[in-house]
Amino acid sequence: MQIFIDGKRCGANQGETILAAARRHGIDIPTLCNHEALEPIGACRLCTVEITHASWKGWKGLVASCLYPVEEGLEVFTASAPVVELRQVILDLLLARCPESPEIRALAASHGLHQTTLPLFVEADNCILCGLCVRICDAQDYHALSTVNRGTTKEVGTAWKEPPADCVGCLSCARICPTGVIRYEEDQATRTIWGRKFELVRCTGCGRPLTTREHIEASRKRTGLKDEYYTCCDACKKKAVSDRFVQVGR
Amino acid sequence: MSEVKGGIERVLSRLPKGDASVLVHAMQDVQTEFNYLPADAVKAVAEHLGVPFSKAYAVATFYKAFSLTPRGKTILKCCTGTTCHIRGSSVVIEDLRKGLGVGPGETTPDMAYTVEAVNCVGACALAPVVIAGDRYMANLKPGEVMKRLKEG
Amino acid sequence: MRIDTPNTLETIRTRLKKLDAGVKRRVLVCSGPGCAASGGFKVHEALVKEMRDKGLEAEVELAPCLERKDPLLVAITGCQGLCQSGPLVHILPDDILYTGVKPAHAADIVEKTLKGGEVIEKLLVKDPKSGERGKGRADIPFYKGQKYIALEGCGRILAESLDAYLAVGGFSALAEALTRTPDAVITEVEKSGLRGRGGGGYGTGRKWRSCVKAPGDERFVICNGDEGDPGAFMDCCIMEGDPYRVLEGMIICAHAVGARQGYIYVRNEYPRAVKRLTLAIEACRAAGLLGERILGSGLTFDIRISRGGGAFVCGESTALMRSIEGNVGEPRAKYIHSVERGLYNKPTVLNNVETFACVPSIITRGAAWFTGIGTPKSPGTKAFCLVGKIRNTGLIEVPMGTPLREVIFGIGGGMLDDRPFKAVQTGGPSGGCLPDSQLDLPVDFDALTRAGSMMGSGGMIIMDDRTCMVDVARYFLAFLLEESCGKCVPCREGLRQLHAMIENICQGKGKAGDLERIERLARNIKVGSLCGLGKSAPNPVLSTIKNFREEYEAHIRDKRCPAGVCRAITTFRIDAEACTGCMLCVKACPPGAVTGERKQPHVIDEAICTRCGACRMVCKYDAVKTV
Repeated sequence: MQIFIDGKRCGANQGETILAAARRHGIDIPTLCNHEALEPIGACRLCTVEITHASWKGWKGLVASCLYPVEEGLEVFTASAPVVELRQVILDLLLARCPESPEIRALAASHGLHQTTLPLFVEADNCILCGLCVRICDAQDYHALSTVNRGTTKEVGTAWKEPPADCVGCLSCARICPTGVIRYEEDQATRTIWGRKFELVRCTGCGRPLTTREHIEASRKRTGLKDEYYTCCDACKKKAVSDRFVQVGR
Repeated sequence: MSEVKGGIERVLSRLPKGDASVLVHAMQDVQTEFNYLPADAVKAVAEHLGVPFSKAYAVATFYKAFSLTPRGKTILKCCTGTTCHIRGSSVVIEDLRKGLGVGPGETTPDMAYTVEAVNCVGACALAPVVIAGDRYMANLKPGEVMKRLKEG
Repeated sequence: MRIDTPNTLETIRTRLKKLDAGVKRRVLVCSGPGCAASGGFKVHEALVKEMRDKGLEAEVELAPCLERKDPLLVAITGCQGLCQSGPLVHILPDDILYTGVKPAHAADIVEKTLKGGEVIEKLLVKDPKSGERGKGRADIPFYKGQKYIALEGCGRILAESLDAYLAVGGFSALAEALTRTPDAVITEVEKSGLRGRGGGGYGTGRKWRSCVKAPGDERFVICNGDEGDPGAFMDCCIMEGDPYRVLEGMIICAHAVGARQGYIYVRNEYPRAVKRLTLAIEACRAAGLLGERILGSGLTFDIRISRGGGAFVCGESTALMRSIEGNVGEPRAKYIHSVERGLYNKPTVLNNVETFACVPSIITRGAAWFTGIGTPKSPGTKAFCLVGKIRNTGLIEVPMGTPLREVIFGIGGGMLDDRPFKAVQTGGPSGGCLPDSQLDLPVDFDALTRAGSMMGSGGMIIMDDRTCMVDVARYFLAFLLEESCGKCVPCREGLRQLHAMIENICQGKGKAGDLERIERLARNIKVGSLCGLGKSAPNPVLSTIKNFREEYEAHIRDKRCPAGVCRAITTFRIDAEACTGCMLCVKACPPGAVTGERKQPHVIDEAICTRCGACRMVCKYDAVKTV
């Protein structure tokens, strides 16, 4: 089907979101809570765009592009006045919450906002409640994290603030966090995250950290892959394969 | 401890195993049994229903009907609906604070009373209203609530 | 007893109607939320005991009346409406309404009225304006101008009796609907113009039609009983007082859209509604009105009750569905509507309690009858809860289009304590406030919205000159801040900033430009939020700024709260000339700031005074002034 983004005719596919279609056409719409691996939830509202349609008798509206499904003839505006104003307000609100976060400051600065105009409501850390950590943990069926409370006291955490029994120490949450809030520690033999200490397994080839024993066990149960798969890193695996080719070739 | 175990068994016996959709009701049952949500009880319920512990915690903390800390013998629910608000619920809450030493969300040291500010209970004709346990104290004039509470 | 066919239903109904008609003498004791809270059940107990002691053939249910020569039905009913004057006891066939009834009155009521045929004057309601006593519903001004459709059975029939509901025609609509095709039923509801009574006003027939059109093999019907607006208890009364009507509406819907499973989501704060609905569902199952092959038709449908956990946001349809599924009540974007993907991602019809309660009448009396009431775009009636600074606090139902003035000053009896009217707040935390210049507006879905407010679910809060409109905005924002699910940035972060701005104004810290800043933030919260809670959260602020801008300016510019509510910018002073020295305020003051001897003018010590306003509340001589 055909839609229009900022006046430009773009091909779009049934069932696609505005955001996905825009990205395919190289049109940039800022997001914070969006990730290709996860279902969109429309929490940050930064991806809001203005839409209208020839058949809507002049009615226009603002919608979250990460969720809104494309339809034939949809007209999308990614930088009209109300969209720009809303983006400013959202970034202003986030800056008031996380004034010291380098990532939020950079994002806001790229939209021309260098400090918040509002009184500060700083929480304990730079969590922006995008929910990505919970979503990636859930998507992998570990469910170690959840949102806690609601409203302005909402936060991300573990059940009863205790080290979570369901966590496998895979670091997906720490890696996906846009503001680097989730901390972990590693030494030669252990990795500690969310207050739990895991046995850190290192590559038998080069010695770099692979993942935790618990992650390996959980993964093995699901995939049924052999032991060798879990004892060395990708680079060493590739080297082992190419070594075998060389041997066979001889 | 065996009291808690017995309580947990009672709650679990009424819950369908593996049915995640009854989680909120299960928590209500736990709260009815223990007057709050002990972590052990919630954990047992989560396992029974096949729900991750983290999700049970999310539900326990999202809904304001639930308390994660033990509550007093008598819960004093102070309605803060609009009608009660304009007819003086804040004065009633102040009177309770003066008389019991605790405010909304707090429990007296002797565990006799917990004061809770609640949303509209629907008795607007009798505003302002405090529900002490099951007993309605209505039309509370300034300075009256402690006397009516002691009247029992 | 299972009712297997429509014929059986009619046979049973004929028998019950005859029985019902034969029980002429009735004592109906109200158990609405107000009356129950002030002792209605104890009154019922006392009356039954007294009657039986004095040899009257008192029965609490219909069926046993069959055995009696001269039965007297002493029934617990749902809300009888005049909540201000409860506990209420309504005596038929003479139409005597006793008010403020206590168990101690039972002896007199039995002896003088039931046996002696006398009316006890002092138990009759006194009209707050004229001072005259009104004998019964026929001559009490409160009841004039009302018309009952959703509340037809409430306060009239036994609250916990399937027999009573059948006797007044209950389930005849279902029997009728089952003789028609689902499409014909939907068409009738479409033609009636019934719009959602929960506040949204979306066409009910249109919603049912969209659900049928949505692809899927499984559909659900949900009744939204989460009534979270403070000051609204219409749905509470309907669920408690006439539960079978709600069930009948849902079953008709199930037939129309092809659903097999229904849910009623009841707010956690309504345990009696849960109890009565549970009893009603069980009775319907036993009678074959729920379950398989209802009334011998192909319809199989059952209903489960789901209780809320104390979250206003769960009144929002998608959050409600998530809650039923056992999750936290976080809404989702509604670009794909629930009629297409709702509960468990299946097509779902969600309607309000009052909406379902209107359906049976529409089927039995027809769409044309319904459109003949109310206004063209808002046909039918609407239930309201009149609360606040009004004389006749209570539950009412009026035709759409009734002017606000008639509701407040006619039915409502005007202002409590004769204080000047200031505003009427409707629509709860999503709504707005209208000043007295708008009182001639008709109550319906569209007129109030055009004026910058909205009709909402039915809570109507009357405010007088001692209500501060800035404080009202602050109150609703504080409420929504507590209730926000916290998922999206505009609502979670925006509302706390908006609340802080208004709080500052109430504290006397307002600055020039505040109103512009507030309006900009409010505008963006409206368009940026994910769900209806956030989108409508700025309404109270925006509507009070629109209609009461001078009051905001007094707070910001003059650092003064004209209504004497915002404590930081209020000072109370006792007018020595008006003060009679009655000591009431001295006793009422929580920190003991008022001193004075009997018959001497009292004085407020400003150093101790917390500005709570208790003194002004108790003063009968209007001697406490704001400076």
